[in-house]
Amino acid sequence: MKNFFKKIKPSTYLQLGLIAILFLFLVLPLIFMLFKVGGNDLNYVFNDENFYKAIGNSIIYSLAGSLITTILATIVAYYLSRLRIKGKKWIIILLTIPMLIPTISVGLGVRSLFGTSGFLDQLFGIKYDGLGFFDLILGSVNFSFPVAFLLIYDAFLYEDRSIYDASNTLGISRINSFFGITLPYLKTTLISAFFASFTLIFADYGLPMEVAGKVKTLPMYLYEEVLSSFNYGRGAVISLVLLLPALVAFIFDVINKDNGEGAARKENIKPSKTFTTIGLVVVILVAVILMIPQVSFIAISFVTRFPGDMTFTFNNYKDAFSPYSSVSIVKFLSNSLIISLLAGLFGTIVAYLTGYLSTRAKGKLAKPLHLLSIATLAVPGLVLGIGYVFLFNNTDGWFSGTIIILVVVNIIHYFSSPYLMAKNAFNKVDKNYETVADTLGISKISLFFKVMVPNTIETIMEMFSYLFINSMITISAVSFLATYSTQPLAVSITTYENQAIYEMESVVSTIILFINLIAKIGFDLLKEGIKKISKGKAEEKMELTRFQFQFLTYIEQNNMKVLTQRQIADGITLSLGTTNKLFNQFVEDDVIILHKNKKIELTEKGYKLLEPYKVRKAIIIAAGFGSRMVPVTLDTPKPLVKVNGVRIIDTLLDALYAKDIKNITIVVGYLKEQFQELLEKYPTLKFIENPIYNESNNISSMYVARDIIDRCYICEADLVVSNPEVITKYQYCSNYLGAHVSETDDWCFFKKHGYIDRVSIGGEDCWHMIGISYWNEKDSTKLREDIDKVYHSRGGKEKYWDNVPLTMCKKDFKIEVRECLKSDVTEIDNYSELVIIDPTYKNYKHK
Amino acid sequence: MEHLSKISVNNVNKKFNGQIVLEDISFDINQGEFVSILGSSGCGKTTLLKILIGIETCDSGSISKDGEEITNKKSSERGMGLVFQNYALFPNMNVWNNVAYALKAHHVPKEEIKTRVDEVLDIVGLTDFARKKPTKMSGGQQQRVAIARTLVMDPDIILFDEPMAALDADIRMSLRKELKDLQKKLNKTMIYVTHDQEEAFSMSDRIIVMNDSHIVQYDTPNNIYKHPANEFVKKFVVKHLDEKAKAIIDSTK
Repeated sequence: MKNFFKKIKPSTYLQLGLIAILFLFLVLPLIFMLFKVGGNDLNYVFNDENFYKAIGNSIIYSLAGSLITTILATIVAYYLSRLRIKGKKWIIILLTIPMLIPTISVGLGVRSLFGTSGFLDQLFGIKYDGLGFFDLILGSVNFSFPVAFLLIYDAFLYEDRSIYDASNTLGISRINSFFGITLPYLKTTLISAFFASFTLIFADYGLPMEVAGKVKTLPMYLYEEVLSSFNYGRGAVISLVLLLPALVAFIFDVINKDNGEGAARKENIKPSKTFTTIGLVVVILVAVILMIPQVSFIAISFVTRFPGDMTFTFNNYKDAFSPYSSVSIVKFLSNSLIISLLAGLFGTIVAYLTGYLSTRAKGKLAKPLHLLSIATLAVPGLVLGIGYVFLFNNTDGWFSGTIIILVVVNIIHYFSSPYLMAKNAFNKVDKNYETVADTLGISKISLFFKVMVPNTIETIMEMFSYLFINSMITISAVSFLATYSTQPLAVSITTYENQAIYEMESVVSTIILFINLIAKIGFDLLKEGIKKISKGKAEEKMELTRFQFQFLTYIEQNNMKVLTQRQIADGITLSLGTTNKLFNQFVEDDVIILHKNKKIELTEKGYKLLEPYKVRKAIIIAAGFGSRMVPVTLDTPKPLVKVNGVRIIDTLLDALYAKDIKNITIVVGYLKEQFQELLEKYPTLKFIENPIYNESNNISSMYVARDIIDRCYICEADLVVSNPEVITKYQYCSNYLGAHVSETDDWCFFKKHGYIDRVSIGGEDCWHMIGISYWNEKDSTKLREDIDKVYHSRGGKEKYWDNVPLTMCKKDFKIEVRECLKSDVTEIDNYSELVIIDPTYKNYKHK
Repeated sequence: MEHLSKISVNNVNKKFNGQIVLEDISFDINQGEFVSILGSSGCGKTTLLKILIGIETCDSGSISKDGEEITNKKSSERGMGLVFQNYALFPNMNVWNNVAYALKAHHVPKEEIKTRVDEVLDIVGLTDFARKKPTKMSGGQQQRVAIARTLVMDPDIILFDEPMAALDADIRMSLRKELKDLQKKLNKTMIYVTHDQEEAFSMSDRIIVMNDSHIVQYDTPNNIYKHPANEFVKKFVVKHLDEKAKAIIDSTK
């Protein structure tokens, strides 16, 4: 063996390089900070009465703020997720506007409302003596709301609402079911949201700077200690305290990552008119209240002198943009744009590369690289900034004190989100590309630039946009590192704050809001544009109308037979007139040929037209243990149980084979070895194992098979198919098989506008659900994504997969009911039914 | 030696996590031969293919080509091409660029790229589709793009990993003939992995029947049909083909 020494792959060097970068700019600064803590500093800080006061204040207002935020966010998310209205996207943009501005701007808005001679005072004479807790809490709720809201809203979207049906029928009121069901289900998410808000508020000093008044918070204490005495050792001690809540939150999130909880049954709530009205009022009210501070500072930016001279003027902007005025922001604006563009550019490159190397390059370094990348989430900006001061204080002129250090600190501070975006994108790219490249002798580098990058371009833009926007608003991470000549726009607000020039603070805040709003909407539109272009290209195929489809499939089934137009019309239940029109058109277009002997033939062109509607494959779910069929299923999995000499699953497999659907994958679990016997009769079968079939619901079977969902039937394995014609070769659209019943206590559908509107257990005048569904190309793609999303959501593993398209992600799908007779497909529900159908099982003994 | 073995596999073994996937696999394939590796899911055929092309290593044993050992050679240096089941075409490139990509990566002169790409597109009959994106094409057309992509590197041997599994029966039928004609035209050795008995029997010069990590029979279709080596071959191959033939006869009555 010559290959005794395996060559180290270039990707390993790259992984090492990135780990080194993250170590240098994330871990090392923190370590340095630890070592700089001297005994004197500890003594000083821990004996300082102000320190304890500050901690007390910080905890009180952070607790109050995050508690209110979490409650408010829960209420808004609850209503918004349940409302069925258009324009939700815009409401969400409104609700998340505080994410686009620095916290100090929020503070400015709050102060200009409630502070001495604020708007409320001037307009209504409402006086409020001085600033303090009230303003702190108000402002902190404003800026922490979007983060908590997005977290909780996401959880609500993927919650299984079926359980509310049960509570409705039991006569439990909506309020009671909210406290009894919704809250316990959301427990982990709510705690996460609470922690996230708490950390944000606790470590923030932009807001307190504006509104705290005499109530000193911990970050203010830190800031003042450092700036007044340049004592960075004391700063380090305080930083360590600041790091604590973030660490707790980070550990909580890592531990709870995959702990699903909550039970899944089926649904569904129809929002009543009253509910919709109340919901809209609540959501819009909150959105408007959240906007008030923003509107307030925008207003002040057009005022001559706040609060003394309230006349309208454009002069503030004129002065700001004049390079010669004393309040010129031109330099700061250009600093900010340069920093944000560079952080966006290089941050995207590094995070993208990190995502690539932690997903697509194997090796032992992938995991530590991943952990380091998400650890950036746990370090507050202020702490990172202080760490940089310690580590890089000897690099004056070429690193510290330059734009570069500000770019670096921004990239590291906001690293985890863009990294995760890249990682998710790379997980979705075809796993075979590297092998293709290997066999063709194409280098990994070439593959990266020519294939990976073009196929993930949307993600790259998202990453850039995220880094750009956040670099525009950050103060905490850069405040100790910026010099006068490198000062970014957001930090200049603090300068104007110290000089009490409120109009200029407002001007700067407004400009930042304006730039970020444009950036956000611009990137969104650009992304959608790219999506549309690539999609539009793919969807250029010719589409058939439903009548044309029915007509052609009927001809296909009766190819080369003598057919009159009357027979065709009856066969597809269309009027003779319509049939005649279709017939003539198709003959003219060479889609069908009418032979002299009256036989009708479907041409090559006809087959091509039907091609997009051809069923490609079938996925059969057979992992479960048929508990109601005990004792028979103790020895044999339910699908393999023979009924009158024939295995149950054979009825389905025969029907599929008869229509030449041979690409069949069976998801197996319980007694999986026994399924191998099927290969003898059906050699094309493929098996996928569901390793957790006994500790999860059937969504786990769809999850393991999700990658192969594509223009396929998805079937339950325990159906006795007595009419094989329920399986057809072509399908016009996504559908479930269903039999109309006047009453049932089983799973059933209700339709609205021709599509499935809801599923429930039991109902009258509805469609009995039969576990055979078809998914067209478009819906297959969505189903793959939605199954993945729901499965990874909290409690996702406990769901029925059918509820993903029918309930949880209903808005993504339009699914029809394909009618059949109840006798076409039989379900043998339990042992006693089996005995009735096949009496030989009467005295069945478990082996 | 009577004739030069194009490919020679000797005592190849492979385990995954202690589980035997391939045990003592040995066989020869002659130049220009079309050989199918036939077996049901999980018999080890795909792993064997991966070891042949060099994207998986074997625990022991050796593979040689034209008398030269290639067991440890890089995949791209083996002179073999691989057509994937899902084709793995690059969605951001049109057909022409999908085919030309490897040549560009090897810095082949522009003029030569043009000649070679046009030539293989002509061979697989896709000249008119050169500017189309693969996402807009049918399964059969995509497969031809995938074949063209390997052909352009002029491999001695082309391997297929169940390339028709995702296609319809009608298209499969015509593609079988197409592929067989193509093989005759090019006179290239082809190794075709499949679970489909008819497919293997209609195209192959010889068939390797695999079961449970072993080769159970390696012979011409005719000999396998007439003299199945054991009960498994009888059931899996002969009985299946008989039933199929009977069904066809019945339906034409």
